Formats: sequence, C-alpha cells, structure tokens
Amino acid sequence: MALLEIRHIYKNFGGLRAIDDFSLEANAGEIHGIIGPNGAGKTTIFNTITGVYHPDQGEVWLDGNNITKLPQYKITHMGIGRTFQNIRIFKGLTVEENVMCAFDPQSKYSIIGGILPTPNRIREERRGRELTRQYLDVVGMLGYKDEKPENLSYGNQRKVEIARALICKPKVLLLDEPAAGLTPTEVSELTDLIRKISADFGFAILLIEHRLDLVMSISDTIHVQNFGKTIASGTAKEVQNDPAVIEAYLGAEE
Amino acid sequence: MKLFLYVLTQVCITLVSVCGIYILTGLTGMFSLGSAAFMAIGAYVSGLLVLKAGLNMYAAFAAAIIFSVGIGYVIGFPIVRLRRDYISLVTLGFGESIAQLILLLSQFTGGAFGLIGVPRRVNVWFTLISAVIVIAITAFFKTSKFGRQCIAVKSDELAAQAMGINASRVKMTAFLMSCALTSFAGCLYAFYVGYVGPTDFGWKKSADWVIMVFFGGVNSLTGSIFGGAFLTFLPQYMQALNKYRYIVYAVLVLIILNFKPNGVFGEWELSPRNLKRLFSPKKNRREDV
Ligand SMILES: Nc1ncnc2c1ncn2[C@@H]1O[C@H](COP(=O)(O)OP(=O)(O)OP(=O)(O)O)[C@@H](O)[C@H]1O
Ligand SMILES: [Mg+2]
Repeated sequence: MALLEIRHIYKNFGGLRAIDDFSLEANAGEIHGIIGPNGAGKTTIFNTITGVYHPDQGEVWLDGNNITKLPQYKITHMGIGRTFQNIRIFKGLTVEENVMCAFDPQSKYSIIGGILPTPNRIREERRGRELTRQYLDVVGMLGYKDEKPENLSYGNQRKVEIARALICKPKVLLLDEPAAGLTPTEVSELTDLIRKISADFGFAILLIEHRLDLVMSISDTIHVQNFGKTIASGTAKEVQNDPAVIEAYLGAEE
Repeated sequence: MKLFLYVLTQVCITLVSVCGIYILTGLTGMFSLGSAAFMAIGAYVSGLLVLKAGLNMYAAFAAAIIFSVGIGYVIGFPIVRLRRDYISLVTLGFGESIAQLILLLSQFTGGAFGLIGVPRRVNVWFTLISAVIVIAITAFFKTSKFGRQCIAVKSDELAAQAMGINASRVKMTAFLMSCALTSFAGCLYAFYVGYVGPTDFGWKKSADWVIMVFFGGVNSLTGSIFGGAFLTFLPQYMQALNKYRYIVYAVLVLIILNFKPNGVFGEWELSPRNLKRLFSPKKNRREDV
C-alpha cells in the first residue's frame, strides 16, 4: 500500500464539479506535480486532502489510515503538511513564532505552565525553539527569525511557510504554487530547496505549479487536470506529448 | 489622597478584567458583550458563599472562579464553533439573561436591592497585588504556546488548523481564562465595595472593557493595561467637567482610534529588550524604513 492513496474523490460546489474523479498514489521520496489551467480544481484537491472540505465521494488514506473524514488539525497530526497559494502567514507573530506555533500542538505542558514559568514549560519551550531554529536554518531563514513576516519578500515568506509545514513532521508535503510571484533567482533557489528537502526528509511531495519548467524538471510523475478531470498522468515526457494536454493548453489559448 | 486610593482600587479591579478581555479579544479576536456577567457571577457567588454559607473568603473566591469557569465551559461550547461575528450576539444574550436571573432569584440575591452586607475585607493593597499577579499571569500566557496559538487563530483560523492547531480548543482556553479573570474581578469588587448591585454588570460594562483594550492597543498587553488605567482614571478626575466628561471621554477615544487605529501602543510591549531598542535611536530608525 502506498504512503498516500487518494481513491476516486469527487467534490462539487453547487453545480460546479471542482473535482471529478481524482486518484493518486504517492510514496516516500516521490515528487508529484499537479498542473492545469486556472480553475481546474488543483487547490480544491489540496483542500480536500487536508480536511478544509471533505470529499463528496471517495477516500483518502495516509500510511494505512483512512483520514477522509478527520478534522483538519488531526489530518495535520497524522502527517500532512502544506503551504498556501496565497501566502497565509500569521500576522502578529515573528518569523520564529510563526514556525514555533506549528510545533506548539506537540508541546507538552499544561495550562499551569501556560501561566507560570514551570520547569516543564521552560524545557518544552527550549525544545520547541531549538527545533524551530533548526527548520528555519533548513530553509535559510534563520537570520530573519525576529522579523515581522509581512515585511519580508514573497520568496522569503514562502520559505517561512515551508519551515512552518516542515516542523509539523509531515509524511506528505503539499506545496500550492510555491513559485507564484517569485523573481527568477528566487525560483531557482526554491527549486533547489524543494529538491534538498525531498532528499533529506524523504517524504512524498505534491506540487501544484504553473511554471511548467519548474514542474517538469523536478517531478517524478505529473498529473494534468482540466475542469476537475485528470486528462493525463505520467512522466514529464509522456505528458508533454499527450494530445489531450496539448489540446487543453494550446486549445485554451485560441 | 482618599480619592486617589479609591480610584486606584477601581483601576486595579478594572485591570483584572481587562486582562481577561485582552486574552479573549486582543489575543484571540473574540468579541464578548457578556463578560461583565462573569464579573456578576464572581461577585454574587463569592458574596453569597461568605454571607450565607459562612465560607472563608479565599475559599469563596476559589469556588466562585471555578463556578464561573464551569458556566463558561457550558456556554463556550457553542461559542467556539460559531463564526466570530455571532459571538458578540450570543454573549450579549447570555449577559442580559444573567442580569435578569439575578433579579428573579431575589430570595438569594436580594433582587433589585442588591446583595447587602458583604464584609469589606479587600483593601487597596489587596487589589493592587491581585492586579500585579494577574498582569504577570497574562504576560506569561501571552508568551506561552497557548498565547502563540491564540494569535495564530486570530490571524488565520484556516491556516492555524492546517498547522495542527485545534482552533476550537484554543478559543475555549482563551474564553475560560477570561471567565476566570473577570469573575475574580467580581470577587474583588464585592469584598471591596461591600455591596453588589444587579445593575452594575450590563453589556455597557463589557463594551467599556473592549474599548479600553482597543484604546491602548489591541495587540499589546502593555497598551491594554494603559487603556484600562487611563480610561478609568480620566472620568474620575474630570469631575469638574460634570456631565460633559463622557463626551470628552468619547471624543478622546474616537480621536485616538481615528489616528492610531491600532491603539496608543500598537503592538509595542514593555520588555527590557524593547526598552533598549527604544533608547538606541540608530537601530530604531532603520526599522522605520
Ligand atoms: N469554497 C468554494 N466555494 C465555491 N466554489 C469554489 C470554492 N473553492 C473553489 N471553488 C471553485 O472551484 C473551481 C476550482 O478552483 P480551484 O481553486 O481548485 O482551482 P485551481 O486549479 O487551484 O485554480 P488556480 O490555478 O487559479 O489556482 C473554481 O471554479 C473555483 O471557483
Ligand atoms: Mg489554486
């Protein structure tokens, strides 16, 4: 059984078929690209996997557990981390606190430690801070730890979001258009970062991306979506030469 | 001097509840128009336990706080699952029904006459020490994992859940903390004034606290405390202005919120590190750019 198994999921919004039978199997170490025109239902797939919505039909299995109907935060605890298409960083927290608060659900001290500096609290806070700095270092943002995230460039905000997802210890990492709004240098930095974390942490990565060059170069498998349907899936080469894909991409432009 | 000590006591009692509102509204972004009802519960329950059951005052305080948290848990259950704009409505309804309940249960509460003869065993120093302890607790709460998760939920509930944060639970924790603190303020009030009146705890009082928090800075505990202290002192020391003082009060609040929408202090907190930054102008200037 694969690490992540998405089995024939469907999602409608009113009369709109945002996902129309989507399936995917991903194993540790693999990178899966999901591409398709605007409104194809890509983000909805991520939202359905992570429990923002529940699918109308179909199931999602992670590491042998059915996570289809779990609440959002429990799905994260089971091992799915994500970033967002339109960056959703926490305002009012520093860069370090942004990452650390994603560790906090695992931090083990009670409300007594919440209002008094108990030894337990001090130990857990230190553990959280050390881990946070470790992950900030992985994405190269340790030097910015005391900044307000809203003052950072898009590229750096994305890196904070990635660190925040990493500290959740995901088995599967979902990246929703991580290169959107980045400068060319930032894009190549980001590509290297994705390759690096994929190799170092060995989780499965699902990557939604509009930049075909990026997606084609780092994905093992590519799924092409259009109007909620998967019109092709396979390696970059297979997909590039698929007539349905050429039709969807080129046909749409006419 | 006598007036000063009287006003100082008012300030300290207000600050205890303002800390509760800071946790609820400032940290977590939930607006309550029924918080004063928990102050009423604290005042009546502690007062009654001492008057009618002959309990020790400290035990009565503890019992009243635990009772309020219990009630808070029951009404918090729907609240933490509601959309935020409905929370003020539900708490408003709750608060006003508690006020009615106090009138109805007149054989215990003294009804419209209020609860008379509570021993005046709380003095200015007691309230001052209480306020300092409560402020310290609130500051610890803010910098704990709970405080961070509250801010995350306030900023973006969906993203917070995607980071594994149980938003309902975080909101419940904040709500219960604020119930405990406002009810403690009620205990102090009852045993300082020696009398609890049924009309002291309407939604206007809850709204006052929210105004204080926003005036000083909704994202800053320092600011909220400043707001609570300043806006309690002000009307007391403008007696000369007589009936115009609430107009002055309102105009001042409007001016501040118009020109500094994040309140007087914004996000700034009083801490050794921030003080140092404040007095090293070079670093400060670079940050302004
Ligand atoms: N919560 C929602 N309620 C109603 N309709 C929605 C909702 N979320 C998405 N949709 C609709 O579902 C369709 C798919 O949206 P989705 O965001 O998944 O597309 P996408 O492939 O991510 O597009 P893009 O490339 O623009 O990000 C769109 O038509 C969108 O308007
Ligand atoms: Mg999208």
